Amino acid sequence: MTAANRLSAAEAIAQLGSGALTAEALTHACLARAAERNDIKAWVWLDPEQALAQARAADRAGRPGLLAGLPIGIKDIIDTSDMPTGHGSPIYQGNRPFADAACVALLRMAGATVMGKTVTTEFANRFPGATVNPHNPAYTPGGSSSGSAAAVADFQVPAGLGTQTGGSVIRPAAFCGVVGYKPSFGEFSRSGIKLQCHNLDTLGIICRSLDDLPPLRAALLAGPRHEINRRAAAPRIGLCRSPAWDRADASTQALIERSASLLAAGGARVTEVEFTAPFTDILEHHRRIANFEAARNYAYEYEQHNELVSPVLRDTVLMPGRELPLSAYVEAIEIAETFRRWLDDAFDDVDVLLTPSAAGEAPRGLGSTGDPSFNSIWTLAWTPCVTLPAGTGPNGLPLGVQLVGRRFGDAALFDAAAWVASRLAN
Amino acid sequence: MPHASNAEPHRLSAVELARRIEGGSLTAEAVVQSCLDRIKEREPVVRAWAHLDPAQALAAAQASDRSGKAGVLKGVPFGIKDIFDTADMPSGYGSPIYTGCRPSFDASAAALPRTAGAILLGKTVTTEFANRHPGPTANPHNPSYSPGGSSSGSAASVGDFMVPLAIGTQTGGSVIRPAAYCGVVGFKPSYGLFPPAGMHVNTESLDTVGAMARSVEDIALFRAALMAIPYETPAMPARPPRLALCRTMHWDRAQPEGKATLEAVAQRLRAAGAEIVDSELPPECADISEIQRRHSAYEAPRAHAPELHRHAALLSDDLLANGRIAAGRKLTTEDFHTAWRRADQARAAAAAWAGGFDAILTLPAPGQAPKGLGSTGDAIFNGLWTMLQMPCLTLPAGEGPDGMPVGIQLVARRHDDRRLLDIGLWVERHLGARA
Repeated sequence: MTAANRLSAAEAIAQLGSGALTAEALTHACLARAAERNDIKAWVWLDPEQALAQARAADRAGRPGLLAGLPIGIKDIIDTSDMPTGHGSPIYQGNRPFADAACVALLRMAGATVMGKTVTTEFANRFPGATVNPHNPAYTPGGSSSGSAAAVADFQVPAGLGTQTGGSVIRPAAFCGVVGYKPSFGEFSRSGIKLQCHNLDTLGIICRSLDDLPPLRAALLAGPRHEINRRAAAPRIGLCRSPAWDRADASTQALIERSASLLAAGGARVTEVEFTAPFTDILEHHRRIANFEAARNYAYEYEQHNELVSPVLRDTVLMPGRELPLSAYVEAIEIAETFRRWLDDAFDDVDVLLTPSAAGEAPRGLGSTGDPSFNSIWTLAWTPCVTLPAGTGPNGLPLGVQLVGRRFGDAALFDAAAWVASRLAN
Repeated sequence: MPHASNAEPHRLSAVELARRIEGGSLTAEAVVQSCLDRIKEREPVVRAWAHLDPAQALAAAQASDRSGKAGVLKGVPFGIKDIFDTADMPSGYGSPIYTGCRPSFDASAAALPRTAGAILLGKTVTTEFANRHPGPTANPHNPSYSPGGSSSGSAASVGDFMVPLAIGTQTGGSVIRPAAYCGVVGFKPSYGLFPPAGMHVNTESLDTVGAMARSVEDIALFRAALMAIPYETPAMPARPPRLALCRTMHWDRAQPEGKATLEAVAQRLRAAGAEIVDSELPPECADISEIQRRHSAYEAPRAHAPELHRHAALLSDDLLANGRIAAGRKLTTEDFHTAWRRADQARAAAAAWAGGFDAILTLPAPGQAPKGLGSTGDAIFNGLWTMLQMPCLTLPAGEGPDGMPVGIQLVARRHDDRRLLDIGLWVERHLGARA
């Protein structure tokens, strides 16, 4: 029998629902794993008694709701009323929010328990936290949702919440060899999540199986659970190398080309989708929006606690963002809108885009969480994205493939991803 | 105009205050003291403030006077709607649920004016979660009338000369309508241009930080601070503007005084040389108000999950049983997608239409403020522009049958905010001095 902490969220929910598993036993198994693997440093707040108390309360209540007592890890830029929220910054040491973020409340209302807070980079930007990659501690787990990706990959919790402004859900999920999902922009409420860039920030989910996504998504939308359709016809796939292609290493380029061939051989129609001008510069427009908005949304931190902001955030994001002319920002906003319309038209001919999840394996060392280019494009596009684990690279670390769906076509993306996953597994 | 050198400081404009403080003829302390005196006299009637600690405000003013740090708003007091987080003042969001809530940081709408040297006087009354359920604020022109909402305290305090500048937010009509009801200048920028960090979420796809003042020039000054951009004074356009007179699809909801004021202003501006063209929103915008309501309803039960989870009994029926939360529970995610796509189409069509004019001349509210404090009035003339993300400016322009202020609204193509203020300056000059 599989140890409880190794069950996927969907498997655990089924067993919790049938009574084959209690929330307390599941939480206990997760906590034991977390204690045993403390050196992954995935958690910034983990109080075993607090987690167990919630699990016991769920058991006593009969494990109601879609999530039936499932423990979830919450990225530490998301407010929790009963746990500190530090935003990965010394400025917020000991910060105790008054209320839960909307996403936390929605998960609790669906019967989930909050296991603890997972490590984030400083303000979900680039200055790294302490977390290591569970596959090899000499490598980064990626960021900014570092702790959620590492904890899920290491079987310390079945699912975690992350956020993505550039590449902060999909990239760490790929680096840690798990499933990551960034929904269509505007779907998941961001109330109570530390705001970085209002045109970009997107709440996402990190888990170990595609089947985990429907119940978690339903809980976060306060809507019904749509099961993945595994009898869907082969999707029309757009091979999209994207303007970031040259940044991908040989193993990742080969993985994407090989995957495209495999999927074509499996019955999918594969065509190429190429970016045309002016969208070949789309990363520059993402950078302008990200810097301009972060420089203003982090005004309090920048102005009142400048000495406690990391030099890398201050000098490469906030200062350039302050200096960027308003007209350059507005131009980027308007080009991004044209880009979204262009992309929406491209989805008339394809169901899903196949593209790298990251430039390669996780980089060595903990100084950088890696290059977000393969993600920033799609964060700006407001399209739903899923990363699936896809073998390992030259250093034996995980690789992922990313599938991008049409905006608001999240459920169809899951169906296509299931088809792709089944063909890539063969 | 309140520029006379013997006017009490609380009656002066922000531009004039900044000039005098910089020139050394006024101190921040004297300005804040003057505002506090006015508040002490009038607050029992107007009830604009949710939090005001005179000692705290005076200490901030004294510190400003001692500091050598410059700033475009140095020493100028401002108020902020109690829907924003502040590190040194409680944030109640107009709800008993948040009694005692002390946030750990300043919203950007508080931090950036402070960086520019402004003195945060206090927190102004908001309706419950910037929604419909009213707070205690009365209209300073006549306390039997509503100040409008949801930025009730900001509009009333600026209208009553308690403070020259205040921050509000608009999801439906919560900046423009109360500003018009209280006889002040209200500005809702293009969606997303004022940083929203630290604003308690109402409806993310609509929530827009806005500003209130008593002149267009003051709005321009405040805007520069709020956006952390260089300040440039608004400039009178070289030629009289070309304006669309847009009565909107909701014209039958307008009150006689609203209609009469708009028509009279159009006449007056035409006489001053403006080209006024009757023009209505393109057909793609026909159901834009309904789309706005859908966005707002859909997000309500999701964004208010924390309150529903733990404190549902403390939510008003205006929000819960008879309000947006109940309406939102009936909407599916697919309904939300449809509404978002329709809004995208409407925005593209509206941008093409608005590009044919320097600005749109329209109503900021049906008419004068409603009598009684039970309702903050009808946002029917605001929700459409909020959903279209277009910049809006209301200017006082007349009086209703009960002597209450009636305004007009100017709207520009999205992202043409700077030009809207220039046009606003022209219109303001040609409407003539008030007060």
